[in-house]
Amino acid sequence: MIQLAEGPGVNEPANTAPLIALRGISRIHDGGAIAALRNIDLQIEAGDCVAIVGASGSGKSSMVNLLCGIDYPSTGSVLWQGQAVQTQRSWTRLRRDSIGIVFQEFNLIPTLTVLENVELALLGRGMAAAQRQARAAMVLDRVGLRPRLNHLVTKLSGGERQRVAIARAIVNEPKLLLADEPTGNLDSVSAATVADLLFELSDKTGMTLILVTHDDRLAARCARTIRVRDGVIVGDTRDATASAPIRPAAAS
Amino acid sequence: MNLVGLALRNLKRRPVRTSLSILGIGLAVGSALALIALSRSIKDGTREGMDEIGDDLIVMQKGASDIFGGFIPEQTVERIAAISGIVRVSGELMMFAPSAPDKSVIALGWPDASYLWKKVPLREGRIPQAGERHVAVLGDTAAASLGKKLGDDLDLLGESFRVIGIAGYTTVVNRGMVMVPLADLQEASYRPRQITIVHVNVEHGSGRLDLGPTREAIEALGNVTASTASDVLNNDRNFAILEAVSLAVSIIAVAMSALNVLNALIMATQERTREIGIFAAIGWSEARIMMSIVIEGIMMCAIGCVLGVILSFAAALAFPHIPAIGNLISFKPSVGLIAPVLAAAFALCILGSLFPAWRAVRMLPAEALRRL
Repeated sequence: MIQLAEGPGVNEPANTAPLIALRGISRIHDGGAIAALRNIDLQIEAGDCVAIVGASGSGKSSMVNLLCGIDYPSTGSVLWQGQAVQTQRSWTRLRRDSIGIVFQEFNLIPTLTVLENVELALLGRGMAAAQRQARAAMVLDRVGLRPRLNHLVTKLSGGERQRVAIARAIVNEPKLLLADEPTGNLDSVSAATVADLLFELSDKTGMTLILVTHDDRLAARCARTIRVRDGVIVGDTRDATASAPIRPAAAS
Repeated sequence: MNLVGLALRNLKRRPVRTSLSILGIGLAVGSALALIALSRSIKDGTREGMDEIGDDLIVMQKGASDIFGGFIPEQTVERIAAISGIVRVSGELMMFAPSAPDKSVIALGWPDASYLWKKVPLREGRIPQAGERHVAVLGDTAAASLGKKLGDDLDLLGESFRVIGIAGYTTVVNRGMVMVPLADLQEASYRPRQITIVHVNVEHGSGRLDLGPTREAIEALGNVTASTASDVLNNDRNFAILEAVSLAVSIIAVAMSALNVLNALIMATQERTREIGIFAAIGWSEARIMMSIVIEGIMMCAIGCVLGVILSFAAALAFPHIPAIGNLISFKPSVGLIAPVLAAAFALCILGSLFPAWRAVRMLPAEALRRL
């Protein structure tokens, strides 16, 4: 029986460096006309639950894109466990093995079933097809989609699609889960379910969660809140009482 | 789910475009196979026809561009016959000759005493008697094609010939020939005392046949060359041109099919830019993403090639029924013919797939994910 590892640092040597850090990061677009991020320094510790909040266009998503290497900084560097990540190949390996991403638009493959969408993230890891399917099914079971395994994702509701996206993001047992406005396209009930799921996974597995949101109530459930405005970090606060507990009341 | 399954799903997603692309590949491969097979079949058919006649050497005018294109004096036959080691010779005047309004046949003129008359495998009738004029023996395909039977009159080069025999040769080219007395064909074609080739049989000893000395002796007569049937065909400029044109058209056809694949995949990858961004975001390597696109190209190519081979076999059945050239063609699709064409099609289709694949992975994943 395949199990998702629970708890931080299972069978891993202690590493005192932050899980991921941004050092002097700027991201300039259109030849300097637009500065999405300006001289950002940030470090995220392993196991942390961090909310990045800010208005639309403030630079939150740009920051997430740099944190998972799907975009490159104009200046500065990104460090993973103290080591600068410098090549596309290194980023690809990190996204395959250590970083899961959940997008606001779900970003699922419409021609594939629920199970196949999750299985895609396991291709290239040297697993047999049956092993991949069993693992994907197990993770989908965990997010409550066992009855929908063989449905096309286009037949699912928004909340269900986002749960598929979460399953795909966590199927490789990442150390870091990045969720960019994961509830932005959902109704309030689905949003609460998805949020609960993310916090539960973070809490139970010890995986680091970075949640981009403009919803202050959602941000309040994270232990740490980073505020971004005009491409600059304007606030970085820690709420010792938050620590990402599950709050079933949010669903109501 | 694997890359092949994913590629198949993507191809099914745009059935009309996929079908048209596959049809394009199929037509290109089918055309290439048919064209190359056509040129080969004419050459092979001619070679088989020559082999059926059973020549050791064929003597032609020196420098003649093809088997129809040189003329030598009829008396050369006697000079060749006098060479030591040669057991029999026969002159022959050969030409394409108009018959019915829209038909032409290969007409052969043989001297009355030629051994070639005696070798005709008659199915019906007889061969000409010595001195008999304006008579013809038809290969069975020629007879069928011209609608002639024994006793009918045949128009050849404006002269009338009575059909006195039907020959049952086995090779396609010989079955389509019309044989008449040499003097009649010389007269009708305004080529008195001229022939195009001399058939030569040499003495076959117990050891390996060495044609070298005989060839040298014949060529020493001046202004003639002596060659085997294969050499004659290999040096024939008409066949060389036919093969070059067929190959060029085939290359163009197959290259067009590769462009077809390129175009289909460029459109497909442009439409799926966001999906390619998703693959990158979930940790697929560039190589894996490219492979997923190239596999689509290979699958289209594979199905198109199967279709092309089927079309070429259909052409093989249809070609012999083409009125003007059907009696010259014996289309035999073979592994030696099909394999290089399919290899070229696959190589070009893979190249055609690599470009859109390379283009797809060049984009930053974040940028790809912003595309609709």
